[in-house]
This record gives sequence, structure tokens and C-alpha cells, in this order.
Amino acid sequence: MLIQYELLKLLRKKFTLILMAVSLALTAFLFGLPVMQYQIYDENGVIKGMEGIRYEKEQAVKLPTFLTEEYIAKTVHQVQGLFQNPHNVGYDGNEQFLIGEAYWKYIAPRENLLNTIAKAYDNPGEHSGYNKLADIDAAEGAKFYQAAESKREALLEDPARRMTAQQKAYWSSMAAKVSTPLKYGYYQGWETLISSFELLMFAILSICIVIAPVFAGEYQAGTDALILPAKYGKTKLVTAKIRSAFLFGALAFTLHIIIAFGILLTTFGTDGWELPLQAANMTIPYDFTFLQAALAGLGVLYLILFAAISLTLLLSSKMKTPYLVLPVLAAVLFVPMFLTPDGTTGIYNQLLFLLPYRAAMPELGKYISYQFGSLVLDAFAARTFLYVILTVIMLPFARRSFKKHQAA
Amino acid sequence: MELQLQNLSKQYGEKRAVQRLNARLTPGVYGLLGANGAGKTTLMRMICGLLKPTSGAILLNEAAMEELGEQYYTHLGYMPQDFGFYPEFTGREFMLYMAAVKGLDKKRAKSRSQKLFSMVNLQEAADKKIKTYSGGMKQRLGIAQAVLNNPAILILDEPTAGLDPKERVSFRNLISQLSRNRIVILSTHIVSDVSCIADTILMMKQGRLLLQEPMDTVTDSIRGKVWEVLVSERQAVEYSRRFPIVNLHHEKGKVRLRMVSETMPAAEGRAAEPDLEDLFLYHFGNQTQEEMEDVDPI
Repeated sequence: MLIQYELLKLLRKKFTLILMAVSLALTAFLFGLPVMQYQIYDENGVIKGMEGIRYEKEQAVKLPTFLTEEYIAKTVHQVQGLFQNPHNVGYDGNEQFLIGEAYWKYIAPRENLLNTIAKAYDNPGEHSGYNKLADIDAAEGAKFYQAAESKREALLEDPARRMTAQQKAYWSSMAAKVSTPLKYGYYQGWETLISSFELLMFAILSICIVIAPVFAGEYQAGTDALILPAKYGKTKLVTAKIRSAFLFGALAFTLHIIIAFGILLTTFGTDGWELPLQAANMTIPYDFTFLQAALAGLGVLYLILFAAISLTLLLSSKMKTPYLVLPVLAAVLFVPMFLTPDGTTGIYNQLLFLLPYRAAMPELGKYISYQFGSLVLDAFAARTFLYVILTVIMLPFARRSFKKHQAA
Repeated sequence: MELQLQNLSKQYGEKRAVQRLNARLTPGVYGLLGANGAGKTTLMRMICGLLKPTSGAILLNEAAMEELGEQYYTHLGYMPQDFGFYPEFTGREFMLYMAAVKGLDKKRAKSRSQKLFSMVNLQEAADKKIKTYSGGMKQRLGIAQAVLNNPAILILDEPTAGLDPKERVSFRNLISQLSRNRIVILSTHIVSDVSCIADTILMMKQGRLLLQEPMDTVTDSIRGKVWEVLVSERQAVEYSRRFPIVNLHHEKGKVRLRMVSETMPAAEGRAAEPDLEDLFLYHFGNQTQEEMEDVDPI
């Protein structure tokens, strides 16, 4: 009953409805941008937006189902054959590339795949395209998975990363679980979705702004003097306020998620949900499909939301007006956006990847790990642990602060 | 039912808002009087658990307020001096919400709200949003929420402030109706409101309880200290500088003054029957005069 009324308090405010409408519209716009800005080329020029997406999906039908060593060796030989004909080759002063029919017929329809294959042969720090395949010695087979493993190990051994032996072992053991040959296919919708999670931070901020008056609004309006001397004013009402804030937050955020997922997955399609992440990048160590990675990222997002709600409630219980809550929240949620990771396992980097904005990014191929004694946690686990702890820790303080509030 | 205040003090930094206040309150209407800053609101807020006493204790039937917890608040109804509502709620939603906070079950909440809407004459506005209510309607809703749980202790802080005379009279009558078998603590600046309905007068000055007397006998202490004189306007100015003036009335070129003084102020003075306003002026005359001078130096 109390939860119902506390929810009603939030929902009856015009401000809530306006802010949520703006936030949903912003989410729709931000997640609509990859669709609107999507472009792909065929020999006639650029194809934009939905038409471009449709074109790419048509091309994807021709993609292989599994990346076997045989298929890769055959593909490498095919690309090398194309490069052997001087009429097919262009040069921009820096590198060679295929032109004309050789490009449009044999490369363009599967360029993402060729790039994924080529990157497996890169040294750490290199970012090659399909033209790298021309330089690979595939006389005795492509040794694709061996190359990918070597690259992964080289990444782990990179002295700049300053990884401990346990961390290296942790990642190697995780990567070893990825089964081969890899299943391949079209995954554009999921990849776009996973790389856009941080855009949902605006939704989290909006939700926190709506719930900022849960306690402070009572102080500001002078209703604290009515509810605190009531039987449940310092007990069940506080619980109801906290529960209603979480309920509202979860529902409102789910609405944003439906819009975000809905826009990307209805336009790009849900195809590729069952594909392994390595289809996009062979150095990703997680043995996840795109769907699993999206759900894991989404789980972390919800935990960030819950911790942000807890922080909002704590600030709300301490501050005299809800307006004072906003600058603190905005700083906590968005300052990390302006901080750049330095690529090592140093404290700065480790903390940065735990801060809200960065924590919203799954960062699947960055080998972010945290070590406590012999225990190694990856980013998902560390973020889960941290945000659950923060959520749980802040609530009793919020509760206590409201109970002890002196309505002078 | 007995509410006991034991050595109750509240200090804000250097300022002592309430100082070692002791009182035993049993059912009846208590008129709490005092000048601005006397500590009335602080005292009431401590009784309501809104302010934590710096020292001392509040006991209900000899059990400490903190020990009783929710049980204590079950017996409490409070209408603060300054309070807000949820403007987007209707009156009925607000009452049902307050009923839920006060621990009333749904059925009782509905019947009690309906009865109180009728009692405070808000039945027609019950389903309108509170933001459409006038000041008087909000005051009536305020008292209705205070008695929703049929409290044994009802605390009303300036309940008639801002009401027009007609609303004040009906409000006073309403409080009278509600006062049976309860401890009602009524704080107000409007002495006539208290004199109509209070059984006992509590008077506070500078955080201390100056007196606690039954209404019938509270003015006995100033019997023979209230005077009326009929003087010229020039003399009236002179008198008003020397004595706290309770009332001033122009009569055919002269001025009739009612004043409080330990001794007869003039040979032509006539002793008058003291009332609560005289008592208030007797104790706070200097303070209120200073306040008036602060506010309006002309």
C-alpha cells in the first residue's frame, strides 16, 4: 500500500513524465543514430541507413557457417591470388589494396570476416585489414587458431600491461574454453548494441533525477513534519520509499532498454545472437555468445543503476533539497567519460574501468582484471561485486539519515 | 494516559531553545502560550519525535518514547505550523496515504477519512487535487490527517494561523469536538482561541515553562494588576511608554486604556477583571513591545 502511494508520488509529477519522455526520446535518438548513420558501399557508391543494412544482410547470406582451418587457408590463398594480378592492385603510397571487380566481387561481401581473420595474424598494437592476408605464409595451412592464440599470449605478455602470472593464467584458461572451429555469420545488431551500452548512462541519470526528491522532497515541501511522527514514518515508510525508488528505477530503465534493444535489433536484426564473440575479434577471451555478452553487460548496467539509485537515496536523505543531488550525481556518472585509460593494470586504470561510465562499457577485449591475493576477477565480476556492495552499503545510511532527520 | 516531560532541553549551538522543562500532562486541552522564540514549536517537535532532545526524556505512561518506538507514534497526532502537502494528490489520496503511514488498515482508513472529510467540511473537495485547495481548506485537511488515527495525544501548532475569523471560529469548535479524552496541546498566538477551549494554560518564556495553571484560575495571579483608565490622547502616549497596554479604545476625544501594572497607574484608574490576554501581556509585555518596535519603528 505504501509502495503504491510512493510510486504515485513519483508518477503524478509532471516533471517525472516530462523527464522520462525526454530521456526515452534521447535514448531512441542515440540508439537510432547507428541506424541513421549506417553506410556500406557497393560498386555504385554508398548505401545508407536501412537500405545499407538490408544490403549487408543480403551479402551475409554468402558467409560461411564455420571458420575451419581449411576454409581460412582457402580464403588466404584466394586473396593472395587476387593480389598476384597487378590489375587488381592499387597502392596509396602506404599499402596495397584490391580494386575493381577483385574488391567488389571477392572482398566487399565478406570484408568484416576477412578483417577478423587478418587481425588474428597481427602483432599486438597492429590493426590490419584484409590486405594483411597477402603476406601470410599459408603454404602449410593457415594455422589461424594458432596465430590467434599467439597474439593473445603476446598481448598478455606485453610488459606495458604489467599482468601477474595469475592474471595471465586466468585469461589463458578462459580463452582455452572457446571452442573451435568458430561459428561465423552476421552479428552487426549485437555488436552495435554491445558497443553502445554507455549511452544508457543518460537514462540512469534521468531516473536518478526523478527519484532525487524521495527524501529531500519531503524536507523541501515540509511534509516530513507530517510523516515522521506517524506510526510507520521512520520504519515501513522508509522501506516503502526505498522499494518504490528501486521499482520505479527498474521499470523506467527496462523501458529504456526495450527501446534501445528494440531499435537496434529490429533494424539490424537479431541474427548472430548465438555466434561467439570471437567472430568479431579473435583476441576476446570470453567464451560468450553475443547474446550472453549483451546480457552480462546489461546485468552490469542494472547494477550500476541500482548503485546510482542507492547513492541518490543517500544524497536525498542528507540534502535539504533535491536540486543539490543533481550535480553530485552528474559528476559521479559522467566525469569518468573524460578520463582516458592508460592501457596498463595500474591503479588508475583499474579504478577507471570500475567507475560508472566506463563500467557500462563491456570492454570485452581489454583483459581488465583485478587481483586480490590469489583471486583474479575479470571486469564483469569486479563490477558486479563492487556495485552490489555499493548498493547494499549505502541504503542503511540513507535509511538512518531519514529516520534521524530533524525537522526544525 | 499520561505524557511526562522530564528535564527536557534542546540546544542549538549556544542557543537554548528549551531548558529543563518538566510537565505532566493528562487528558485535557492545554493552551501553550509564549512569545515568538519562546520554544513552543521546539517543544512540540520534540514531543513528536521530529527533534531529538539535547537532554531529558519524554515518557508516555512511564515508558520512554524511544523504547516505545512505533507504539508511541500510534498515540500521536500532529498538525505542524508550517507543513506541505502533495499537490498532485487529491484530498482523499492524501488521507489514505497518511492513514497507511499511520498504520490504519484499508477499510478503517476509508471509513475514517470519509468521516473526517465530513467533519472538516471537505467532503465535496475530497476528490479534487490539493493544489486547488484554499489556505483554509488545507488547514482543515491538516487537522483531519492529525486525527486520522484517533490519537490520544493531539498536538496542534498554530492551527488557526492564516484563517479568517469565520474559519477560526469553526476551527475552534472543531478542536473542541476533537478534544474529548485526549491530551491536546494547542499552541497559538491568538490568545482568544486558547481561552475558549483550553482547560489548562502552559506558558513558556525563553525556553522555560513559566506557568502551568488551570484555565479557571490562571488569571488569579494578576487579579488587581489589570487597570482601565480614560485619559486624553497626550496622556495615552505617556501611559503606553510606561505600561504594557492590553487594549486601547477611542471614546469621544479621549482614550480608554487597559493596562497591566503592579500598582494602580493613576488615581482615576479602575481595577478590571483579568483575562488571558492581560496575563500574556503581564509576562511578555516588554518582550512583545520590543518585538513591535523591531518590526515597526514608526
